Amino acid sequence: MASEDEVSLLVVVVDVNPIWWGQQAQREPEFTLSKCLDSVMVMGNSHLVMNRTNKLAIIASHCQESHFLYPSKHWKAGDAAGDDAVSSSRDGKYEVLAVTNDQISEEVRNLMARTEVKGHQTDTLLAGSLAKALCSGQEMKSRILVIKAAEDCALQYMNFMNVIFAAQKNSIVIDACVLATDSGLLQQACDITGGLYLKIPQKSALAQYLLWVFLPDANQRSQLVLPPPVHVDYRAACFCHRNLIEIGYVCSVCLSIFCNFSPICTTCETAFKIPLPQMVKPKKKKLKPAT
Amino acid sequence: MDEEPERTKRWEGGYERTWEVLKEDESGSLKATVEDILFKDKRKRVFENYGQVRLGMMRHLFVVIDTSRTMEDQDLKPNRLTSTLKLMEYFVDEYFDQNPISQIGIIITKNKRAEKLTDLAGNPQKHISALKKAVDTTCAGEPSLYNSLNLAMHTLKHMPGHTSREVLVIFSSLTTCDPSNIYDLIKTLKGLKIRVSVIGLSAEVRVCTILTRETGGTYHVILDETHFRELLTFHVKPPPASSSSECSLIRMGFPQHAIASVSDQDSKPSFSMSHLDNSSGPGLTLGGYYCPQCRAKYTELPVECKVCGLTLVSAPHLARSFHHLFPMDAFQEMPLEEFEGERFCEACQGELKDKSVFICSVCSSAFCVECDLFIHDTLHCCPSCIHSQMVPSTWLTD
Repeated sequence: MASEDEVSLLVVVVDVNPIWWGQQAQREPEFTLSKCLDSVMVMGNSHLVMNRTNKLAIIASHCQESHFLYPSKHWKAGDAAGDDAVSSSRDGKYEVLAVTNDQISEEVRNLMARTEVKGHQTDTLLAGSLAKALCSGQEMKSRILVIKAAEDCALQYMNFMNVIFAAQKNSIVIDACVLATDSGLLQQACDITGGLYLKIPQKSALAQYLLWVFLPDANQRSQLVLPPPVHVDYRAACFCHRNLIEIGYVCSVCLSIFCNFSPICTTCETAFKIPLPQMVKPKKKKLKPAT
Repeated sequence: MDEEPERTKRWEGGYERTWEVLKEDESGSLKATVEDILFKDKRKRVFENYGQVRLGMMRHLFVVIDTSRTMEDQDLKPNRLTSTLKLMEYFVDEYFDQNPISQIGIIITKNKRAEKLTDLAGNPQKHISALKKAVDTTCAGEPSLYNSLNLAMHTLKHMPGHTSREVLVIFSSLTTCDPSNIYDLIKTLKGLKIRVSVIGLSAEVRVCTILTRETGGTYHVILDETHFRELLTFHVKPPPASSSSECSLIRMGFPQHAIASVSDQDSKPSFSMSHLDNSSGPGLTLGGYYCPQCRAKYTELPVECKVCGLTLVSAPHLARSFHHLFPMDAFQEMPLEEFEGERFCEACQGELKDKSVFICSVCSSAFCVECDLFIHDTLHCCPSCIHSQMVPSTWLTD
């Protein structure tokens, strides 16, 4: 049991890529974005209830921005009491939970209504959301849970790795709950920071998986039987063909990886010394004078 | 030997009135000045942005620790030796964090001799356990700068040309006992392109000044323990590579991690090659990393394969060094009153309460002091800029 004064922050990063969720609504109408957010709200409420000092933050990761759904900076403490028309039923419900749920639903509605998707920006800005999550969890013990829907974007690799190393340095655990396709980047993130990676077999049971697997924090995980670690492929891809290689040549200046030896590095244009076989000087045998 | 004009010593300069830094406000309190000093402390980073200069990424560094009689002095608590060894553990951790494909070796010198505490290796655990054991060594005699540099040089001169060869000397005594002329050794070190830096614990010693100046290193003398830590942190960053270091393609292996559990039928426990020298425990493990060339097993990366000599790393180890190649620009500081726009930090969503805000020159978002420090020291990328999806990528993996 954590001590009474320890503040523990859970940041949930939800992938709200409108293109993926739009297609999902047509594939499986029973699991839509609102159902997903309902499950997230259940988990958020449970986390807040587990300990009086627990804190929650929810970030929506969109194609163009990352927006904090909770805590929302537009709501001040006094506003909540006046908005009875919008809120859900409050009889007997813990006020903090009601306010939280209302803020989340209001903010996500505003977010989806105001953003327009432009043609070329279709990938979720996950690295940016994770960076914001890291900055917000600096002063206290925190962990991050990523709920991923759309596919990986390879362009974000370098930023993603920076975020992962920053999290590892500050001992912040990154867990991943993947709804559809496996994500290599998140597998590496979970492996490096010591978090849990799970690809959900049945999307409609999201709330169950969140509560059973991801709700307990790092101290309690040793006592539970959790999904086994996945095999992470740490092989590098060569820069020329993008094939995964086991043995490669690394440029000592810019650290780019090639599968074959070449005299010039294509990234930094340095010319390399080619190791030549050494010249063996023929040994002169001294002839003994015949006696 | 060239004689550069030496800096004027502190007693040769003018008369300074250091008490005038503190200013009282109308009510006589020093609060504003104290806050100012604390604020500047938070921002005190040596911002040596080298720009587009080639850096020495693969470093071979020898640390020479002076364990002579003067290390028993108690001006650093509890004594100089314990404090130095503690800071060295921190240094080894940070060094391998920032330079995962580099190596460190430790040499200690006392009684006019030098001996190797640990050999050049890429595994931090070995060094940290050796440093922990070294707390009990007795400090006696005089150090020998010549012998320790000679010992380091014998190993460093066989290192390949594309790596940077460095020596860091932590020198506490004011004397050194050398068997022959140290200036000749300095010439040899310069010829072998070995860069020597010194951190002095007592006072400035002329032979160290010349040594560092000739070989291209830095020489600082500590003021207190905090300053000592800062100087060590300065040496964690990769230095600019000298123009004559060769660039070459290094052959490296990227082994797969085989995880096996006891219930697997095919998995058999085996020894790891890295534990062959250890006498502690049987060391049988189920999973591990297998060298792609000779199939020898290792438990940790990065490591150099003992059987076939191939350097084994994993892709994140190389990715960790990337932020040195693409350094971030400093943010512009602007007083809070002049800043128009919402008074919220873009990164942590907290209210902007400090007296200045920091603006990113590319995306014009505002950040608070703590986030600015975090972004530059740990994160190495602006949280708002990476939302723009225009970031170039040099290499990608699946």
